[in-house]
Amino acid sequence: MRASKLNGLLFFLGLLIVWELVAQAGLINPLIVPALSRILRVFSDLVWSGQIPLQVAVSMKRAAAGYVMAALVFIPLGILMGLSQSVYRLFEVIVEMLRPVPPPVMIPVAMLFLGLEDGMKIFVIFFSCAWPILLNTLDGARNVDRVLLNTARIFGLSRWKIIWNVILPAASPQIVTGLKVSLPITLILVVISEMVGSTDGIGYFILDSQRRFRVAHMYAGMLTLAILGYALNQFFNLFYRLLMPWHIGWLRLKDGR
Amino acid sequence: MNVGRDFNWAGWMLFALLLLLWEFGSRLSPALQSYLPPVSRILRSLGELIISGQLVRHLMITLSRFLQGYLLAASIAVILGIVLGYFRMAHSLFEAVIEFLRPMPSVAIIPVAVLLLGIGDAMIVAVTVYASVWPVLINTIDGVRHLERTLIDTGRTFGLNRRKILWLVVLPAAAPYIVTGLRISLSIALILVTTAEMIAGSRGLGFFILDQERSMNSSNMYAGVVLVSALGYVLNRLFVLGEGWAMQWRRGMLARESI
Repeated sequence: MRASKLNGLLFFLGLLIVWELVAQAGLINPLIVPALSRILRVFSDLVWSGQIPLQVAVSMKRAAAGYVMAALVFIPLGILMGLSQSVYRLFEVIVEMLRPVPPPVMIPVAMLFLGLEDGMKIFVIFFSCAWPILLNTLDGARNVDRVLLNTARIFGLSRWKIIWNVILPAASPQIVTGLKVSLPITLILVVISEMVGSTDGIGYFILDSQRRFRVAHMYAGMLTLAILGYALNQFFNLFYRLLMPWHIGWLRLKDGR
Repeated sequence: MNVGRDFNWAGWMLFALLLLLWEFGSRLSPALQSYLPPVSRILRSLGELIISGQLVRHLMITLSRFLQGYLLAASIAVILGIVLGYFRMAHSLFEAVIEFLRPMPSVAIIPVAVLLLGIGDAMIVAVTVYASVWPVLINTIDGVRHLERTLIDTGRTFGLNRRKILWLVVLPAAAPYIVTGLRISLSIALILVTTAEMIAGSRGLGFFILDQERSMNSSNMYAGVVLVSALGYVLNRLFVLGEGWAMQWRRGMLARESI
């Protein structure tokens, strides 16, 4: 396993070296693909000058706002819809009507109402994270072990206690799945909405650099996004391990049987 | 669905109520009208735009870009996924490259594609291919790697050559995974086509919607949104139908296993 990982890294490194050499030799148009060393230099300049951290902070603020709001609204709604068949039926049609809307086409709609401000991006992220969070939570709440529920009832727990102490923990693996699926969606929508209607943020930075033919800047922005995507995923996993250690143990137990 | 197939009165009533509220709220408030025209006006715009052929043209352009991008991505990803899943060596070589590229939001590739291909169909299709490849690729690799060795060994014992094993054993066994990837890619491809049309397009539904927003023709804009959503919905239904048809054998197999 270790050896194969090393192979992959070496191969990756080899590709990067070939890129650098080909670019140095002038075989590719530097206006389209500059040398790797140049991109890295621009990247480090932009990081130290504070330009990239600033844009990332702007984008992340929007992403976090939309993501957290979606979680706060759609986890409770999902639990309600999972527990009560009538609530589910009530909202089913609306959900089914809105779900096929491709999230980026909500950008012009949101621009109409909210202009180019932060609110527009936050709304678009909120909208696009809604479905994975809602549908996963709903599924989790609906499939809670009947024995668990009945046991809680026999012990005379109140409705709220059942939701808080039984259903929420039992549905949490699926809630986590929904939150995890939403993470890359959030990043994608932040970037799209900044490309379509914004004057700052990392998405705007990338598109603007391309339009001014500052190609190395553009690639530096993309590198930032790749790092950001990776880091967000790692953060999430760390968080998950801290919050739900019992679930990992439980999974292992099930796997080992 | 464990829910009965009877008509969902409550759901449709709430939906109709919201539409009515929208219709009359918008009629009563002129300030709201420029943002949120009455439903009836949006539907009339939709009808007019379809009859005049304007919207149909954009729809066809978007659809053809979508199909080219999606089908190309699917074929590339399935072939590559089988190769990378089957040959351990190839997988270990490309693993780091994949792990590096995958977390980057695929829309970030649009500016690069514009530099390389200019603005036009080729750019939009290329971007769609890039983004839709990942889910199918990752799922196909997973499917092939989770394959039971006994299946391959049985194939070998029966004297199948490598190509036949790939075609008759590996591909069907990985099919459920591949289908999952294909379903995820379906919505991703539509997202990328519309996004690319918004950012660097002069035709297509994504362009149309943004263009109508900029010229403050809000009812035309909503008509475009309705049409794109209908397109997404229809594509999804077609996929589910196709899946049911193509994977019939699997349902039979699962049913037999459960006996």
